[in-house]
Amino acid sequence: MATETAVAADPASEQDNIIVARDVHKWFGNFHALRGVTTTVGRGEVVVVIGPSGSGKSTFIRTINRLEQHQRGDIIVDGVEMTEDVRNIDAIRSEVGMVFQSFNLFPHLTVMRNITLAPTKVRKTPMDEADASAMQLLERVGIPEQAEKYPGELSGGQQQRVAIARALAMNPKIMLFDEPTSALDPEMIKEVLEVMKELAASHQMTIVAITHELGFAREVADRIVMFDEGQIVEDLPPDEFFNNPRHERVRRFLSQIL
Amino acid sequence: MATVEAWQPAPSLPPPRTETGWIGWAKANLFGNWLSGLVTVVTVPIILWAVWSMVSWLVGPADWTVITSRPQQYAIGLYPTEHAWRPLIGWLLVSILFGMAAAMWGGAARRIAIGYGVVTVLLGVLPYGMFHEGVVMPWWVRAFILGNLLTLGIGYLLGSNAKTARPRNFVLGGIAIYVLLLLILNGIPGVPGMEEVAPRKWGGLMLNLILAVSGIFFAFPIGILLALGRRSSLPVVKVLCVVFIEVFRGVPLITLLFMSQVLVPLALPANFPVDSVTRAAIVITLFSAAYTAENIRGGLQGLHPGQAEAARALGLPGWQVTMLIQLPQAIRNVIPAIVGQFIALFKDTSLVYIVGMLDILEMGRSIVQGNVQFTDNGRENLIFVAVVFWLFTYTMSYASRRVERRLGVGRR
Ligand SMILES: Nc1ncnc2c1ncn2[C@@H]1O[C@H](COP(=O)(O)OP(=O)(O)OP(=O)(O)O)[C@@H](O)[C@H]1O
Ligand SMILES: [Mg+2]
Repeated sequence: MATETAVAADPASEQDNIIVARDVHKWFGNFHALRGVTTTVGRGEVVVVIGPSGSGKSTFIRTINRLEQHQRGDIIVDGVEMTEDVRNIDAIRSEVGMVFQSFNLFPHLTVMRNITLAPTKVRKTPMDEADASAMQLLERVGIPEQAEKYPGELSGGQQQRVAIARALAMNPKIMLFDEPTSALDPEMIKEVLEVMKELAASHQMTIVAITHELGFAREVADRIVMFDEGQIVEDLPPDEFFNNPRHERVRRFLSQIL
Repeated sequence: MATVEAWQPAPSLPPPRTETGWIGWAKANLFGNWLSGLVTVVTVPIILWAVWSMVSWLVGPADWTVITSRPQQYAIGLYPTEHAWRPLIGWLLVSILFGMAAAMWGGAARRIAIGYGVVTVLLGVLPYGMFHEGVVMPWWVRAFILGNLLTLGIGYLLGSNAKTARPRNFVLGGIAIYVLLLLILNGIPGVPGMEEVAPRKWGGLMLNLILAVSGIFFAFPIGILLALGRRSSLPVVKVLCVVFIEVFRGVPLITLLFMSQVLVPLALPANFPVDSVTRAAIVITLFSAAYTAENIRGGLQGLHPGQAEAARALGLPGWQVTMLIQLPQAIRNVIPAIVGQFIALFKDTSLVYIVGMLDILEMGRSIVQGNVQFTDNGRENLIFVAVVFWLFTYTMSYASRRVERRLGVGRR
């Protein structure tokens, strides 16, 4: 009931914006981690999120697939409001792929089984079909020859590419990246960024990526959103963000990380 | 300007030669410094002396008649002689599983099956004095024992055939054989030759093995459920599991066995058809399940939280996250602890002497004490029983080490 009214009240945002966040608050105990985040992400848009450590970036993108629950405000993903209702949540999660800083591949399964697990169990895709599309994805991320290995036998960059393939295997409408390259050695960052750029360039997918790879942001982002103290300080296209930010805070932050 | 020089990696050299040969080894390991030299000088003579006296006893006065004249009782206790073929049939069935495992998994399973086959042949051809008191070893018993080679071979064929060699078939076959074995031993009413032999007449090594296998077989799934229950978000389930685990871990097994004989009947209706052996088996199982549960819970807690997050982020429902991602990894990581637990369980089966059962240890003791001619053979009896226990527990820990290596425990 509440869901229907909330969505019906805002038909425009449902159509154009795949993610709508309105005044989202989140507390960890007494700690106010998100302090009224309001933003929208359009279909096919590529949004890069930056900000100092502890500013709530991870917490925010994790509320989008409800790995964290917000306590106030609304989050509407692809027309479905994030509520307590468990059925909604599993459905939404299968539409939203997520890539983590620490890869989080399943070490007891081969690369192939890591990728086919969710399609076969959640979508009930037949095994041979799932195998075939997993193979295509591995080719897309450039490591088809690693299919039968276990994650522990791969380099960090290869593992992260498998993690991307695993998320893509569910044909998500949205991909969330939480600092996908910050656990990698410099040599491997590039190979992961290449895969992400290719994804972004296809414009078939909505991407929200936390990353401090500013070159990547400049090249592929439609918008750069900067968090600080649980709020959004700045939300601008890359050009303006770098050359003409409205807030002094952005300039200070950029000078710190450059 | 500086010229650009080609960079050459240094050649890979062989490692430096160290002192080799047994003299070098002894120098490094036994006399590396003055303390280790002292330890060597003191302990080596003691060890040599102990080995010397043991060996001279073994080749001299040791007399194994106590065992070779009572193999039946060590094997099956007081199970009636005219029904002795029933346990032997059960043994034939079990051999199928060894053969099947050898063909399906090779490696350690094959080596264990080969050792098993060799021991079986030895048991079939050894020059026994008697089968039991006053009865010469009958030829058909030897035939049954050697017949295990045949069923081992049948199992091997089943395990080599692509149609039958499925882990699922192995597990289902194992369950079927387990049930069939209990049925054959206990008897089937109305079938000639299959008269009832109540479990309290079961004994010897057979009893230890049945109790241990039953215990492991049930303790594992129950332990998993308890571990999951203890993490449950439902307070009732959680409290029940915690109380169960803490009670069974907090009370010695001997006490629990006594209680099963004295207290449990109070809680059950009169004439409830659970004999004292089954009760003992249940207590051993639950005791072991409590420890298994804590091991598995430890494994679950050791997992990186990102594992469950990644699975949930893919849209897997909660129970699949547990069954497909968390449990397999948790169990894999605690295999050494669980196998240790099962080895302890196997050894603890000896405690059923408390409820008046004649397991191999108690059987041996009563043979030695009940026969004047064997009163001096307590040593041989104990050594034999110890070696039997050791053979089984060593096999278990050997198998576990191989499985660990295969699954790459400790290497993520
Ligand atoms: N599970 C939690 N329990 C308690 N506090 C938390 C928890 N997760 C995050 N926090 C706190 O919330 C704040 C925001 O954390 P968050 O992980 O979103 O920051 P971030 O912007 O992603 O930072 P980083 O760049 O370090 O990843 C931090 O102060 C953090 O300590
Ligand atoms: Mg973060």
